[in-house]
Amino acid sequence: MSEPCIIDAHLHLGPPGVFFAPETESAQLLARMDRLRIRCAVCTDDVTLFDVNDDCLIRPRQVFEQSGGRIHYLGVFDPRRPEASLRSLGGAKEWPGFVGIKIHPSMHGVPAEDERYEPAWRFAAESDLPILTHSWSASGYNPEQHLSTPERFERHVRKYPGVRFVLGHAGGRGTGRHEAVRMANEYPNVYVDFAGDIFCYRLIETLVASVPTEKILFGSDFPWLDPSANLTRVLLADVPVSAKRSILCENALHVYRIGAATC
Amino acid sequence: MTEERIREMAEERRAVAERLRFFDAEIWLGRPEGFPLAEELAPGAVQDVLAKRFVTGGLVSHWRGKTVSPQAGNEALSLALASTSHKPCAACGSVTGTSGASEASGDVPVIDALFAVWTGLPLFPAEAGPVPGGVEPPSCARAVRIFPKSHNLPLADWCVGSLCDWLVQRNMPLFVWHTEIDWPALYELARRFLELRIVVETQTQKILYHMRPLFALMRDCPNILVETSNFAGAGFIEYAVREFGAERLVFGSFVPVNDPLVPIGMLIDADVSERDKKLIAGDNLRRLIDEVRQ
Repeated sequence: MSEPCIIDAHLHLGPPGVFFAPETESAQLLARMDRLRIRCAVCTDDVTLFDVNDDCLIRPRQVFEQSGGRIHYLGVFDPRRPEASLRSLGGAKEWPGFVGIKIHPSMHGVPAEDERYEPAWRFAAESDLPILTHSWSASGYNPEQHLSTPERFERHVRKYPGVRFVLGHAGGRGTGRHEAVRMANEYPNVYVDFAGDIFCYRLIETLVASVPTEKILFGSDFPWLDPSANLTRVLLADVPVSAKRSILCENALHVYRIGAATC
Repeated sequence: MTEERIREMAEERRAVAERLRFFDAEIWLGRPEGFPLAEELAPGAVQDVLAKRFVTGGLVSHWRGKTVSPQAGNEALSLALASTSHKPCAACGSVTGTSGASEASGDVPVIDALFAVWTGLPLFPAEAGPVPGGVEPPSCARAVRIFPKSHNLPLADWCVGSLCDWLVQRNMPLFVWHTEIDWPALYELARRFLELRIVVETQTQKILYHMRPLFALMRDCPNILVETSNFAGAGFIEYAVREFGAERLVFGSFVPVNDPLVPIGMLIDADVSERDKKLIAGDNLRRLIDEVRQ
């Protein structure tokens, strides 16, 4: 029987800084992926979230190559540094393993609807690349999260219907999730992943009941979270096995254009 | 990827989960606070929800103990547990021997036992109503939780020391959310009351931001234990087992706000021995409950 092709579509590499993480390096990630039978991953090198420059995607490319083509990577668009971001993205566009763009309004302090993201959306449209964003609900104890609530992205989503757009964390644990669900239903180009600690009871069942199955992607947020948490939730969810296959594999293959041969 | 392979992977996990017989430190009744999409777990639904998630029993808490008052929470908890279909509190007895012993009947496994976590206050000034020190707790109460920040009580010997003495006399553990404490204060308290088992709870916000003080606390204070519902960073379980031993972790789910499959999945796949998995899944908590002096 063939091994499964599970794709973790949302994770990170490198020490997070804000907390102690026992596993942060690519070798540790690969070992964990092997144990969980996760074939591929889509990662963001955390250094690139904080410091976009011309060389910042060299390390993730090396990780991709050293992993035997298993750990794909995103390039970051920082709206505060649009020229440097576009140079970095443009340089990597044809590189092996480069599969899309990451934006993070809460981290960069620029609200999602801001005009300064326009170059990223245009670049994605012209290059047939997806955008993965951090999204969350408004939070009383983490006020920056209000910059990334799903509805704030809507004007860009409408303007660029050809850009495959993933709401990472599916809008979070609060009312942002309602907005994420609405947008995934309303716009053909909007997807959700449930990476992170969206550990809500029966989340997978709820998402499958409220969003087209082909719009939902499995992700872990490693090393912030253990991939086995979300993987187990999918495998043991009370949903059809065809939905599990879509969530664990097919949807990420489609969104990130990861070659089926990889699996 | 074949659907047959997915089914096989699911069955493998289901088999391990059933074998580990999870005993849950974090079962919550009442209306959750701060989680707008979470639904309340009705007392009558507890057994069904737990059984479907491979949980054989555990410690039940009530949100009112935080959101209203300890007295209101303890009263609501007593009423709710009396209405559930699990074994009556008075008949709970020992649970240590149940690991691996009881069998499922039909599709729904039998819940071994449900016990209560009472909400506590300092013994001075004495307060009216069902709180530790005021009245003797029901026999099903096997732990006490305090909310230092929400209830405006410093986590210091001169304020909560009387309650800690009361707990030590009964060999009853103290539970506390990490969001309700300051780490230096907890460190001092744990060092002051070496016989008091203190279970640090990983809710209601990410504890991963606090892993540096938490692991240092675990290193210096053998009486500190951690529940696992949000002990969710990659490699946390393996690290804690390697550095401090599996005896320091107790399984918790935070159901119905969170899904028990989260900590279940992390433990199933953890790179630790089967013995350590069983300790964390339930045997550590069963032992804590069994060792309480009634």
